[in-house]
Amino acid sequence: MSMHESTTDRDLYQTADPIVEIRDAEVVFEMDRGVSRVLESADLDIERNEILGIVGESGSGKSMLASAMLDAVVEPGILSGQITYHPDERESVDVLELDDRELKKLRWEDISMVFQGAMSSFNPTMNVGGHFTETLDAHNYDVEAGMNRARELLSDLYLEPERVLEAYPHELSGGMKQRALIALSVVLEPDVLVMDEPTAALDLLMQRSILSLLEKLKEKYDLTLVFITHDLPLVAELADRMAVMYAFQLVEIGPTEEILEHAAHPYTRALLNATPNLDAPLSEMRPIDGSAPDPVDVPAGCSYHPRCPLADDTCVATDPDYHGVSESHGVACHHWAHAAEEIPFNVDAAEATTGGNQR
Amino acid sequence: MSDHLVSLENVEVHFEESQGLLDFGDPEVVQAVDGVSLDIEENDVVALVGESGCGKTTLGKTAIGLQRPTGGSVSYRGQDIWDAKDNRGDVDIPHDEIRRSLQIIHQDPGSSLNPNRRVMKILEAPLKRWQGQMSAGDRRREVLSMLERVGMTPPGDYAGRYPHQLSGGEKQRVALVRALLMDPDLILADEAISALDVSLRVEMMDLMLDLQAQFDTSFIAVSHDLSNARYFASHGDGRIGVMYLGRLVEIGPAEEIITNPKHPYTKVLRWATPDLRAGVDSGDPPVRKIDIPDPKNPPSGCRFHTRCPEARDACLREDPGAYDVGSDHEVACFRELDEHEYWSSSPLADDELDDTSSPASTK
Repeated sequence: MSMHESTTDRDLYQTADPIVEIRDAEVVFEMDRGVSRVLESADLDIERNEILGIVGESGSGKSMLASAMLDAVVEPGILSGQITYHPDERESVDVLELDDRELKKLRWEDISMVFQGAMSSFNPTMNVGGHFTETLDAHNYDVEAGMNRARELLSDLYLEPERVLEAYPHELSGGMKQRALIALSVVLEPDVLVMDEPTAALDLLMQRSILSLLEKLKEKYDLTLVFITHDLPLVAELADRMAVMYAFQLVEIGPTEEILEHAAHPYTRALLNATPNLDAPLSEMRPIDGSAPDPVDVPAGCSYHPRCPLADDTCVATDPDYHGVSESHGVACHHWAHAAEEIPFNVDAAEATTGGNQR
Repeated sequence: MSDHLVSLENVEVHFEESQGLLDFGDPEVVQAVDGVSLDIEENDVVALVGESGCGKTTLGKTAIGLQRPTGGSVSYRGQDIWDAKDNRGDVDIPHDEIRRSLQIIHQDPGSSLNPNRRVMKILEAPLKRWQGQMSAGDRRREVLSMLERVGMTPPGDYAGRYPHQLSGGEKQRVALVRALLMDPDLILADEAISALDVSLRVEMMDLMLDLQAQFDTSFIAVSHDLSNARYFASHGDGRIGVMYLGRLVEIGPAEEIITNPKHPYTKVLRWATPDLRAGVDSGDPPVRKIDIPDPKNPPSGCRFHTRCPEARDACLREDPGAYDVGSDHEVACFRELDEHEYWSSSPLADDELDDTSSPASTK
């Protein structure tokens, strides 16, 4: 076993004033080939007014985590565990106990979600304004006040309100549609905005512009943002904290700066090294060997062990607990203390050996 | 006769947008590519970057003879590609050979492979078409050895699979093998890696670079991501070309473009590329507007002036040419000329531009 004291208490994923608490959330799909566990005992707190980035490759379970938060896992997936929402001035809500009507209310008015593929989220036969009035109406909001809010939101997002509200979805560019959708998802004044790859289909300049707008939106409307993406560098500048997923598990959680500078999970470190970066020397970028596991057949022990250079018998035999790297930084790895030494960052490596002689 | 592998001269591609049945007015014209000249050498790498709709894919397709330009000329080893196609004048290189030499890898690996055919069958097709004399056994051996070369082992297992049984990265490798089996001189990789996971991108680019070295193939890589373009172009000792609204606004050696960008638009793209070193708040986008103008009605003068933070009065009136700023480095911006009326004209105020969507005005 690890020589370091294993911290199994809840400190590591607990925050001071959580707005959403996820405990032991699990999603399974029964398939012909066996049971597919696409989210495994996820424990995570979302702190009020923070921006949390959830990072993972395709098929790592990050979208499932988002769906779980809203009890929106599609059939025949089965969700278990506990999701608690703590509103500002009301009683805490047990999300998985809500009936359909309460759930519908929660999903737009408290926790709102922007899904992947925003391009198809609009009804092509209805103009953008129609989507706003319909949404306000369906939730019994005052439509006139709501539309004023909508106009303000649109101009906060650098759109011309009147033009956009009159336009049909096909008349807007991808970036405009995406921003209009963000405005729509905030129009009912939710506390939490969950975004699943909200910018993936856009080019980089638009992605970055939207991110800087989101930051302002968050300040102005007191939002808590959860940003789910496969693109670690993109979210790194925006997020206060990051949670890294690998093979349907949360493998590392911590403040963004700590993750970027002292990532303790070998996977996080490899991911950072695999990312092309304008400031990293070219010779040091290397892909991660191997490929992500099949959900039906996740390796025993630590699921990263077949690809991990630090793996030994312990990793094959036992699934690692969370270890505290610092007070707010947790990692699920037996060998976290040696990860930095064994897998140096390519940016650091270059700095250490200025003037050539890179390994 | 020129020595260039492919040479584009003052190429212009304009698309007419049809107006529907009952509208007999002038069709609207989208200027996808406008006045671009570019030479591609043997064993060359050129990465084209820019926002969606800037014409980078259209330019790439024009370079490999898939898109007929509405103006200017495209030639392959000195032979005009469209003269060869139409059998005009003296044709030195038949169109068939040009077609074989210039290949493409599409953006979406999923939809570029026939879902009803096994990998072996997909990959045999180009060999059957272009090397009819090859025996069936040799053909299969060739396919298997190529699969092995791109890391799909055991090749026999992969050859028997259907596309849906492959991961995204594997599909893209099959598309790459298919292009390589034609023994091409130039491959257009059209956002070939943007559909892949971040961690797989470096691997795929390494593979393409390896094959470039082995087969002496040139690449045009189209990408919206400057860091990927830099990785690919720098490793291939190539150039990065930056496009904006149909124009090539800056082109030069990859590292030069990254470390010493000249055009304000290139600097904007540099801003848009995330930096992993934490703690730097990059602030507002360094553009006047975050949306691209309508390509049907591009701005007068320099096309970037509506968004350019450095724009002055002169930029409204005059269209900059391409100015040399170093070896192989060209920039289309007046700021590179020491003596130009730009420097004496007044900066553009935001309210002179017909917009309500500027970052500065809502602050």
